[in-house]
Amino acid sequence: MLPVSYSVRNVVARPGRSLMSASVIALVVIACSLFLGLIASLKRTVSSSGDPMNLVVMRKGSENDGASWLPLAAFQAIRFFDGIARDAADQPLASPELVVQPFFHTHAGGRENVLVRGVEPVALAVHNIVKITEGRMFTPSTHEAVVGRGVVGRYVGTTLGSDLAFGHGTWKVVGILDADGSSFESEVWIDVRELAYDARRPSPYSGARLRAASAADLEPLMRRIDADPRYALHAQRETEYYAKQSESADSLYILVIGIAVLAGIGAGFGASNTMYAAVQARTAEIGTLRALGFSRAAILTAFELEALALSAVGFAIGAASAVGLSRLIGYLLGGIAFGAATSTTNVIMLKVTTSDLLGALVLALAIGICGGLAPAWRAAHLRPIDALHKA
Amino acid sequence: MKYLGLVLANLRRNKLRTVLTGGAIMLAVVLVCLLLTMPAGLDALLNNIANNTRISVHNKGGVVYTMPYSFTRKVRQVDGVLAATATMWFGGAFEEDGRVSFPNFAVEAEYVGAVYPDYNIPAEQLADFQRYRDGAIVGRQTMHKYNWKIGDRITLRSTVWPVNLDLRIVGEMPSDRSPLLWLNWTYLDESLKAHGYRGLGIANVIWVRARDPNRVNAIMRTIDDLSRNSDAETACETEKSYFANFFGSLQGFLTIVLIVTALVALCIVFIAANTASMGVRERARELAVLKAIGFGRRVIFGTLLAEAIALSTVAGSSGVMLAIGLTRVLKASTGWNPALGPLGSFMVTAPVIVQGLFLSLFVGMLAGVVPSFGAARKPVVQTLHEVF
Repeated sequence: MLPVSYSVRNVVARPGRSLMSASVIALVVIACSLFLGLIASLKRTVSSSGDPMNLVVMRKGSENDGASWLPLAAFQAIRFFDGIARDAADQPLASPELVVQPFFHTHAGGRENVLVRGVEPVALAVHNIVKITEGRMFTPSTHEAVVGRGVVGRYVGTTLGSDLAFGHGTWKVVGILDADGSSFESEVWIDVRELAYDARRPSPYSGARLRAASAADLEPLMRRIDADPRYALHAQRETEYYAKQSESADSLYILVIGIAVLAGIGAGFGASNTMYAAVQARTAEIGTLRALGFSRAAILTAFELEALALSAVGFAIGAASAVGLSRLIGYLLGGIAFGAATSTTNVIMLKVTTSDLLGALVLALAIGICGGLAPAWRAAHLRPIDALHKA
Repeated sequence: MKYLGLVLANLRRNKLRTVLTGGAIMLAVVLVCLLLTMPAGLDALLNNIANNTRISVHNKGGVVYTMPYSFTRKVRQVDGVLAATATMWFGGAFEEDGRVSFPNFAVEAEYVGAVYPDYNIPAEQLADFQRYRDGAIVGRQTMHKYNWKIGDRITLRSTVWPVNLDLRIVGEMPSDRSPLLWLNWTYLDESLKAHGYRGLGIANVIWVRARDPNRVNAIMRTIDDLSRNSDAETACETEKSYFANFFGSLQGFLTIVLIVTALVALCIVFIAANTASMGVRERARELAVLKAIGFGRRVIFGTLLAEAIALSTVAGSSGVMLAIGLTRVLKASTGWNPALGPLGSFMVTAPVIVQGLFLSLFVGMLAGVVPSFGAARKPVVQTLHEVF
């Protein structure tokens, strides 16, 4: 068996050529992990909004809060159902909410739909993930608003202390909302009654979020809401609801996998070329090794290892650049806007995580193994006598 | 021309390498073309859909803020307006799992044909749409997706309104890229009333067609003035601006796509340059001999360059061809996707083809020039010296 250092040294021995192939692999790694990171960030942003103890109540048949409505009487009825957690004052943790998608204007003059959620103060107790990190929560009926971290500065009037105009009115921004990177950070929260009036909604709520007292209460509560004959309502787990909302990102995976495979094959060709050249340049050396008694398997392994080492170097360069590039994009663009299922804008922070890099690593190694196989095979099957002859 | 044989012979010398290099270039061109179809699709969509005489009228606060339906009548009376129709999002889902898989709106049957003459819907189908209250006109893309024919009956379950509507397909929008479905305004209005709700009474967007493209701005101003100080002040926009804004939130994603495209393109340049330089290095001896027997620098440089360009052109054109084929498959398999919107329409437009070919040609030039230049300039004595 040839020592591993033989393969590694061969990579280093021709730094120019090795670097060239490694760069190609690195570029593919960057492209692949950036794309994977984008989709994963998108999914994470949406799906992390759900709390396992919370239920979403909407009109039967609605896909999202934006398209649902909930009569006042229905909310008053379900609010006191058994199994809903209570706060210190023994009030149920049931948050009636109204979702409207008004235009917000960007500084560049464009407009985007932003999800404005009308809530009551109880919302903060129901949505555990949401914290007011700067300023304070709005006071109902005073035309105050809190804005998500992702929205801050993105639109005209979305900074702390400024006047934010949308719909028919103007709200004073008194707080910034932090939600652990989830999609609540792309929202603006105001008093639910103010929003219902502003949007001229006949029914004040679009849905409700309930916090269950215990995990065991979730199922019976959902069954009771669904079965109530007075109102055609449907309750589902918040985690499930947001998982469904993030499903539309799944079809993007097909695109990314397609791109990764195509780019991977291309890079594999490049790696193959380099390895063929390496084999050709070292014909005499291979002949000598064979003459010395190294087996075909040993030669094959040595060349495969060389190709793998090459792709490992490429991966290392690519992974480091991808992480750096994602930070740079985040720094330059702030956050990436993406259309959400409610046709509002989700601002996501692009982050390339370990699992995205793992996907890219698999691709890089596949490029190395497949690209190196044919040249390694050729090296292993050189007849020693011919190889020495050529030299 | 007389050196053509030499160029071809050189390409055939190491067939494996030629195939590998060509393959790499081809794949990269396929990728770049596929990725470029996304922004190109958006552009083409904006240019195609957007008619220069169509205006969108919607509430200043947003499309969900709606306007009174009666405002449509006022808009129709504005001087220079040819036709106007109120539209309302129906949010109907056809499939069992309850997803809205194509956009569907309630429109006014008697006016919609005049607002969208560029949709080329046959006159008798438009007449049927007016005659049958439960009629629907469907885009060809959606017709194909569900294998519907004119005359079929379907049921849409609204995710927004508390009604399900049984529809009869009476017409088709003859565009392969149209996923739309139109249903009758009065049908939705009356169904709501029949279920004990207030009727429609409101509109999301009123689409207006102006008689004269030069008067569009004046009409927009007049309509906005009409609604000033009312409870629903409007903001008029040209159709192009409406859709550009509508899809504006995709810009961030497009930026990433373009970065990746640039990376992939860079990747091809690397591969091709690498291989070309290997090919030249390997042939150093032969080139020195050629020079020694009197071939000029220009000829040597030219043949090497021609070799690189020939390879990349062939690879590039097959890449473009493959990309066109692949987009057909992609288009057939994905359909309308709310996350991708118009990006999912994957159109290989003429500019994309030109860009793909240009890219491969550029790669050929760049990859050919550097090593060939070096090879042609190296003094004969030095090269022969290195070799022997």
